[in-house]
Amino acid sequence: MSDPVFWQTLRLTLEVGLVSTLILLLLGLPLGWVLAHKRFWGKRVLESVVLLPLTLPPTVLGFYLLLLLGQNGPLAQFLGVTWAFRFEGLVVGSVLFSLPFALNGYREAFRSLDLDLIQTARTLGAGSRRVWLEVILPITWPGILSGSILAFAHILGEFGVVLMVGGSLPGKTQMVSIYIYDQVQALQFGRAAEASGVLLVVSFALVYLVRTLEDAWRLRMPSSTR
Amino acid sequence: MEIAYALEHPVKLELSLQVRGFTVLLGESGVGKTSLLKAIAGLIPARGQPFAGLRAEARPVGYLPQHFALFPHLRAWQNVAFPLAHLPLQARRQKALAYLELMGMAELAERYPRQMSGGQQQRVALARALAREPQILLLDEPTSALDVATREEVFAGVLERLRSLQIPTLAATHDQWLAQRADWVAVLTKAGLAQQGSSEEVFTRPASLEVARLVGFRNLLEATVLAVDGVWVQVQTPLGILKAPYRNGISVGQRVMLGVRPEEVFTQEGPENRIRGQVRNLRVQGLRLRGELGVGSVGLAFFLPRYKQAQLELAEGQWLEVALEPRFLHLIPGSGTI
Repeated sequence: MSDPVFWQTLRLTLEVGLVSTLILLLLGLPLGWVLAHKRFWGKRVLESVVLLPLTLPPTVLGFYLLLLLGQNGPLAQFLGVTWAFRFEGLVVGSVLFSLPFALNGYREAFRSLDLDLIQTARTLGAGSRRVWLEVILPITWPGILSGSILAFAHILGEFGVVLMVGGSLPGKTQMVSIYIYDQVQALQFGRAAEASGVLLVVSFALVYLVRTLEDAWRLRMPSSTR
Repeated sequence: MEIAYALEHPVKLELSLQVRGFTVLLGESGVGKTSLLKAIAGLIPARGQPFAGLRAEARPVGYLPQHFALFPHLRAWQNVAFPLAHLPLQARRQKALAYLELMGMAELAERYPRQMSGGQQQRVALARALAREPQILLLDEPTSALDVATREEVFAGVLERLRSLQIPTLAATHDQWLAQRADWVAVLTKAGLAQQGSSEEVFTRPASLEVARLVGFRNLLEATVLAVDGVWVQVQTPLGILKAPYRNGISVGQRVMLGVRPEEVFTQEGPENRIRGQVRNLRVQGLRLRGELGVGSVGLAFFLPRYKQAQLELAEGQWLEVALEPRFLHLIPGSGTI
């Protein structure tokens, strides 16, 4: 762990992961609820769009984002912001790329929720705020958390999108996975090995946590309420 | 209490019915019983009285879905305290415990729903519904999630408590056992409300063929009225000429349906309505025996308690003569097609 750049890179990666995961939570929870319980025209199109990053090559997604966020992109023209090669660009790319992972978790959590519970809560005098805070979230939080953790872990290891949108400016937009690639290119195998080891441990810990939460969640859904 | 509701979706339904004491809304699945309860609770869009225009959270109803919908993450007392959110914490707990006590569940206050039996969950859910201080209780299939073996015992206790609280209750069910214990029965069919009346009236004098089937008249035979004397009617049936009670609107020559309950096939040893047939399709069904008495091309279904079978030493193929008690037969105007 001798290279100070690595620590900058790891810190940036964790920051991007954290901010993106929070945004995913705000964006994904309502979207997950709508996809789980509402029927509307064009639902399948919406589902396909949000699942698209699963099959789309990351470089393709990154390329389009570069066009959108770059100096001559529509965002620059109309809003005057250029997010390419910046922290914000990394976050936008990460959010879009990990949306399917977070959303799947949220949607499954909401889908397995017995709607009788919500209806009954309403007949017991609870408005929608109370229903969310005292019924939906307390019952579904393990599923929501596991979706968020999966998305976070996915962001940590992302390569193609962040390379396209962020470039690889050390200390500014270089993420850990790109750092590793750069070290290998420079034949610095020792540094690459150290960084890879750290990612391996973190990834394993996160996936283990998700599995634990899934088990806890199953206990929360006793057969008697179905 | 008078209930008049009209809804379009998921079923088209428009009806008005009385709720008197413990009222059963009897009907097969798919006729809209659950939808009607939800409409009254304000959970699906509908027009009607009472509670018109109020949102679900503002309606004074106690709604119990089929599986009771206890909140799995809350203890029994916390479930009951849910509708008491306007009170300070200490008062919430005390009041919740009082409602649990009312349903005889105080000792389970600290348990989670998954640690309770179906019957216990139901009582806790009722305590929670009562804590809302509802003007009416709406129960969806209240006996269906209970153990069949102990269902009657378990729910009879609940019924007794609800009666002593004198809270109007509307229970949707297809359970004849429950309907027989109701103060008032409203029968719902695809066409709408088919009949309402006391449980005795609906079970002994169903207004239509569909209601007759629903309340357990398994034998429905086409018949023609031969003679009417104001109290009794003679009808020609595939079983021969039988005597049945007169009911309004029946006249000589009319085609009618004759209903005979399978429990009432071996009712008396009297001289009237004697029928001779061959026993077939004997089957033990729990503690009772079911079978058919073959008379010509007609099979007359019957249920017998076990001791009766032992007395009669029934066996398939045996010829047997039974008498149908005239008072227990029931005539329904109209022919066999609904």
